[in-house]
Amino acid sequence: MDSSSLNSAELQRLISQEKERAMVNEMVAKLTSACWDKCITGTPGSKFSSSESTCLANCAQRYMDMSIIIMKRFQSMQ
Amino acid sequence: MDSFSSPSSGSSSSQFSTEEFMDQLKTQLAQAYAEEFLETVRGKCFEKCITKPGSSLSGSESSCISRCVERYIEATGIISRAMFSAPR
Repeated sequence: MDSSSLNSAELQRLISQEKERAMVNEMVAKLTSACWDKCITGTPGSKFSSSESTCLANCAQRYMDMSIIIMKRFQSMQ
Repeated sequence: MDSFSSPSSGSSSSQFSTEEFMDQLKTQLAQAYAEEFLETVRGKCFEKCITKPGSSLSGSESSCISRCVERYIEATGIISRAMFSAPR
């Protein structure tokens, strides 16, 4: 068997992995953009203030919490 | 191709090895991601640093832009870590 040739099941698995990675990257990008707007209100400094970096971390975690609530709510409506 | 030479892997135009295909896929995804990232950074830093466009970039505008890029990259790291260590 030629192990370098296109194997459909293996390829599907690899593509599926890449798709998941791409979705994660996309979520990080979207969330960073939204949280930047919410948390970095002034001119960017040479480092983040502790309130800015806390806000960014909180923002991401609250978004995840919100996602769960939305899913549960949506599922309870099915 | 004559009958004495052995075929090299992936040389046929109708066949890709899985590895070659995945390499190309990953490269293209990385490029697309990088372009999207750059476009986002351009937008954010233009908004934060260039409030009244003059006839050239001032020194303070340039340093603001540098800091903005560094901070945005740092923000991406903070968000990414926060997403994957959030207690459920």
